[in-house]
Amino acid sequence: MQVRKAILTAAARTQRALPLQTLIDSEGNKKALLEILIEQSLAAGVEEIAVVVFPGDETSYAQAAGPHGACVTFIPQPEPLGYGHALYCGHEFTGSDPFLHMVGDHLYVSTGTTPSARRLVELAGQERCSVSGVQPTRESLLPRYGTVGGRRVSGRSDLYRVETVIEKPTPTEAEQRLLVPGIRTGSYLCFFGIHVLTPKVMEILGRKLAEAKGQPVTLVDALAELARQEQYLAVEDTGRRYDLGDPYGLLIAQLAMALSGRDRTEVLRQILELMADRELARSEAGAAR
Amino acid sequence: MSRLTSIITSCGEKRDLALDAVCRGLDLAGLLEECRAMERFRRETDSFYERVRALFFLYAMHRFHLPRVVGDAPRLIPFDGYENLLQRRFEEAIEVFLAAQEREGASAAISSALAASYRALGFQTLADQVRRSVRSVRGNQWMFRAGHTENYPLRLRKELLQGEPAFPILREATPVRMDLTHSGWSDIFFLGMDFPEGARVVNASINLAVHGAGGSAPSPRPPVEAWFRVIDEPVIRLTSVDLKATADVRSFDEVFDFPRDYLGLLKAGVIASGLVPPGIEGSTEPLEPLLERLTGRTGHGIELVTCVNDIPKGSRLAVSTNLLASIIAVCMRATAQIRTLTGGMEEADRRIVAARAILGEWLGGSGGGWQDSGGVWPGIKLIHGVNAAQGDPEYGISRGRLLPDHKVFSRTEIPTATREKLEASLVLVHGGMAQDVGPILEMVTEKYLLRSELEWQGRREAIRLLDEITGHLQRGDMRALGASLQRNFEGPLQTIIPWAANLYTNTLIERARREWGEDFWGFWMLGGMSGGGMGFLFNPQRKAEAQTRMQTMMSQTRRAMEHCVPFAMEPVVYDFTINEQGSQAVLCRDAEALMPAAYYTLHVPPLVRTRMPRLSAVRRTELERFTAACRTRSEYAGMVETIFDHLLPAGQMTADGAGQSLKDLLQAYGFDRVQHEQIRQELRAGRIGLAQNRLPDTSLIEDAEADPLDESHRETGIDALAVGQVAVVSLAGGVGTRWTRGAGVVKALHPFCKLGGRYRNFLEVHLAKSLRASRQYGAEIPHVITTSYLTHEAIAAHLDAEANYGYPGPLLLSPGRTIGLRMVPMERDLRFAWEETPQQMLDAQAQKQREGLHAALIAWARSAGEGSDYTANLPLQCLHPVGHWFEVANLLRNGTLLQLIAIRPRLRSILVHNIDTVGASVDAAVLGVHLASGAGMTTEVIARHLEDRGGGLARVDGRVRLVEGLALPREELESRLRYYNSATYWIDVDKLLAAFGLTRAMLEDAAQVDAAVRALAMRMPTYVTLKDVKKRWGKGQEDVFPVAQFEKLWGDMTALPELQCRFVEVPRVRGQQLKEPAQLDAWLRDGSAAYAEGLCTWRESQSLE
Repeated sequence: MQVRKAILTAAARTQRALPLQTLIDSEGNKKALLEILIEQSLAAGVEEIAVVVFPGDETSYAQAAGPHGACVTFIPQPEPLGYGHALYCGHEFTGSDPFLHMVGDHLYVSTGTTPSARRLVELAGQERCSVSGVQPTRESLLPRYGTVGGRRVSGRSDLYRVETVIEKPTPTEAEQRLLVPGIRTGSYLCFFGIHVLTPKVMEILGRKLAEAKGQPVTLVDALAELARQEQYLAVEDTGRRYDLGDPYGLLIAQLAMALSGRDRTEVLRQILELMADRELARSEAGAAR
Repeated sequence: MSRLTSIITSCGEKRDLALDAVCRGLDLAGLLEECRAMERFRRETDSFYERVRALFFLYAMHRFHLPRVVGDAPRLIPFDGYENLLQRRFEEAIEVFLAAQEREGASAAISSALAASYRALGFQTLADQVRRSVRSVRGNQWMFRAGHTENYPLRLRKELLQGEPAFPILREATPVRMDLTHSGWSDIFFLGMDFPEGARVVNASINLAVHGAGGSAPSPRPPVEAWFRVIDEPVIRLTSVDLKATADVRSFDEVFDFPRDYLGLLKAGVIASGLVPPGIEGSTEPLEPLLERLTGRTGHGIELVTCVNDIPKGSRLAVSTNLLASIIAVCMRATAQIRTLTGGMEEADRRIVAARAILGEWLGGSGGGWQDSGGVWPGIKLIHGVNAAQGDPEYGISRGRLLPDHKVFSRTEIPTATREKLEASLVLVHGGMAQDVGPILEMVTEKYLLRSELEWQGRREAIRLLDEITGHLQRGDMRALGASLQRNFEGPLQTIIPWAANLYTNTLIERARREWGEDFWGFWMLGGMSGGGMGFLFNPQRKAEAQTRMQTMMSQTRRAMEHCVPFAMEPVVYDFTINEQGSQAVLCRDAEALMPAAYYTLHVPPLVRTRMPRLSAVRRTELERFTAACRTRSEYAGMVETIFDHLLPAGQMTADGAGQSLKDLLQAYGFDRVQHEQIRQELRAGRIGLAQNRLPDTSLIEDAEADPLDESHRETGIDALAVGQVAVVSLAGGVGTRWTRGAGVVKALHPFCKLGGRYRNFLEVHLAKSLRASRQYGAEIPHVITTSYLTHEAIAAHLDAEANYGYPGPLLLSPGRTIGLRMVPMERDLRFAWEETPQQMLDAQAQKQREGLHAALIAWARSAGEGSDYTANLPLQCLHPVGHWFEVANLLRNGTLLQLIAIRPRLRSILVHNIDTVGASVDAAVLGVHLASGAGMTTEVIARHLEDRGGGLARVDGRVRLVEGLALPREELESRLRYYNSATYWIDVDKLLAAFGLTRAMLEDAAQVDAAVRALAMRMPTYVTLKDVKKRWGKGQEDVFPVAQFEKLWGDMTALPELQCRFVEVPRVRGQQLKEPAQLDAWLRDGSAAYAEGLCTWRESQSLE
């Protein structure tokens, strides 16, 4: 299975400015988040990328895509009908092909030699099925993530066969349905935000959207059904993800990228200087009183 | 391998062999060898089940079998072992007692200590395992890990946050459950976990209404409801509408402090639902940040309101468990832990609610069965134990799972017509008794583990009957169903636990049989015991009539028995329907978002007093909605008037009325106000009190020897009896404070046990013994019953109604002449009793509840005024008898002794005994010993067992005398005294009179007698004691308050130098006293009851009706 397409979603009304935010990448270059995500997709072997946007955002997004505009298609989501619908807007684009999917408001920073997206694409190609990136996550963070339950694939310490998927479960439900043998007590496998999905997902989404009659459908709803219909794997990702929509999300994401890049020493020096200046000013103010 | 350990480790039928069957054939050596083998086995085995059963086998061997062969020679019980036992260090206690047994040989005394230790360790092991299992249920575990607000994972559903300024209200309505059969209490946790095949219950979820309430009968509806909403204050606001209690909880400490107010159940629900997870207990963090995370808004909190619709306590319908389940369900829905916000629940959700309800009951220190939350499920269902399988937390630990499975019967299995027939034939009632089922559940556990032959047969029969009952249900045969339910009650249930029945219930059944004959189809015991919630099945054509008549019949029977049976309330008849939905929730928005009407009587008055600008937007909106509802909705009609009544209470009529009545009583009973004020001053000044009851620390207190019972004097006794030299005095002034935990019934009249085929009260037993002795010795023995203001009228009326139980001899009542007025205790006495005196510690959670309760009661004493008169109760509950010293002395003052002498001029000896010393009798041998010794008074003492606390026989500064436990300067001194006072005294009339400075002739002079009694009373120590008194309120609710009172005790007469006293050792069966109902089962099993029965000659008496 060859993954040549990717869909990035960036149509949420309140989040649509986030992919346009400018960051300095690990090489010290200024880039919009969108450009970074496109580059990560391309590095994973993808050749065509669709970005689902809020109607009218196409121009600004095209600018943010930087030099990769030629391989990017912008698909407007005509109505704000939720995440599942946004992804489904790309169903004609993906057709009968598998595709890589990332959300447009997250920054992914890999810790290993292979970037997360590429690792997923390679694994999906080998196993010929959908694969989602997951991370063991403390139960107190469950209200933020889709979470999977399943069993470890024998012989692989980082690969799981997904049996259940629940959107933002309570710990009560998680304990009953999402315990994964071998994962530390009180932790669950939550989505990392990167998936490689088979065309079946689009088919399920389409059906669910038709049944929902205008009510929001989540990607997790479709993935839960996918797990019942075909093999679906989850791979543990050791990288970090940063939600730019969180309070200070952009700042933290930038710091994370800077501290894992070329300018790490310089950034650290400036942070220390900032803190030292602040402490000095405070102690001087105290002495003056 | 020993025979007994092989029973425990076997499979199949051998596993069910009775311990008794094996032990009966063993001699002392054989029993001790089995005990040693069992002790080794229980220490070595890894199996939870084997350990628990071994502990109960050891308990039973030491409690019932070793005393049979070892004799009852007095032995000392090591105090350090006793202390370990009190501190729940059971293993250490067992080691100490085993070492004593090894050192000194086996004895009944040491066996009593070992029996208590093994039993307590057995129950502790069980409780620990249940607790572990509850915590390890999937879905519960995370709550014990969430120890900080930062880790708090719950968020409210967004639907509950819409609609500001007033948020919507989520309302959960839950039916209660009605057990058709519980297969012999098979829902106790251990039985389900050890014998899942035998753990089966059939129960139905029902809606209820009180029949005929308020003239027009309301239609039955789910009896418990819980409301949940967001509020704009950072608190958890809890309100129990039926208990009329409300509180704003602002800290974690308050959430976990259950006894602080009447909202303990709501708090347990808040915790068990995970809203405030149990893991966060003890956190010093503020509550507000957690509420902020929960609601997602600063300065917001939640409100939880509950209501039990007119269902009194003790209904045996698991009201409190289902209310807990309702609270948990509404909180779990609100936090998305249950998938559906409104409507019913999915099976998985119902199961987690049931698991959380078990957790909540454990947190609250109460204990329901595993089927109690059956109201959460719809319709009629079979709830059954399940074998633990791989993946279950119980797998490898117990045979069964903690949580049972629920199989809801479909309409094909139990057709609609059958359900309608059931509704048409069953009259559901609350008989008015509210009793503690806890001891019964312990007995069931014990008997299951021991597999005693009869009881095991009973259990098997109960299991068989469940299938029979289900069959009748499926066929719709209500008459046969009634017969099976009646058989279940009269057969297996009472075989396993005789105490499941009582005289009141049996009288009702008998009357129903007489009145309706063939149309009365059977009695149905609901829940753990009868007397409270009960069912009577009738021919449907006569149901309406039966409902009306049952109400009258219950009220009449209650009135006839109110002095002898603890009733908590007036009996009621219910209307009911089967609830086919189970627990359901609705979300009320906008104008519909209203709390129950009674909620506003609690909350509106303070709001009305608050200036409008200071009311929050939420409160303003709510007041507007409520006002509108009062105009438009029938259930809110009349609320404005009710609220005005609350704002402007109509005087203090009730309190004044009660006060007047108390005043009358005090006057009528000759209350000595001067003496009372003196006692109060001394109490407040600290000159008297619990600590001051004690003898000086410098007193030399040593063990003393009692005389053996020398049979050679029997003839002397027989001769004295034959010529009419003896009378009996039964002390019956008490109200059985420990027997009913302060409910205030006349203990002498309490029908405590079936003897000779029917229920007998203490008085009847004593008269039956006097009858037998009269016949045996050829002379009618005069029998005196001393009474107090609390007991006199009831006893007199009762004897009259029963024609003295056919007692042909002289029967006199000796009315009390002295009463005291109870006082609010001093804080220092409460602290002395609870903090400085060794107390039996409870299981960790129960101990925590007890400590919280103690803190609340100390606060009550402070606020009510330490040392002030206790008047906030029914007048009779405010008075107290002043100890049995006065009961004996009153014989002189009230002319009874004079009367006795007139009847029996040769009267020489009086046998005085407590009403609960059931084995005490006119025994010629003991009398002979007394007469031969020439003593002024001979006291019967028994060899002390562990449970005999409260003083004993001692040499105090050289004089052999009785010493009260209250007077011992140090607790350990009691364990150095081998003999316990049975409180049975043989008194020489003339020598006693001499001690008072009187003669027979002087008895005619009332003034001289009064002066003599007063003078001797002055020499007797006055003890300040704490007694529990129940205060009843609401619908069967009861609070227990510790109150201070004073008393003088007859045993102190042995300290008088001018009265020569002797002490004779008698067998335990003769001298033991029945102080608590929990003693009854062992009393029946160890031969004590048979001994007492052997002393009696019964006369047929009329029934109590």
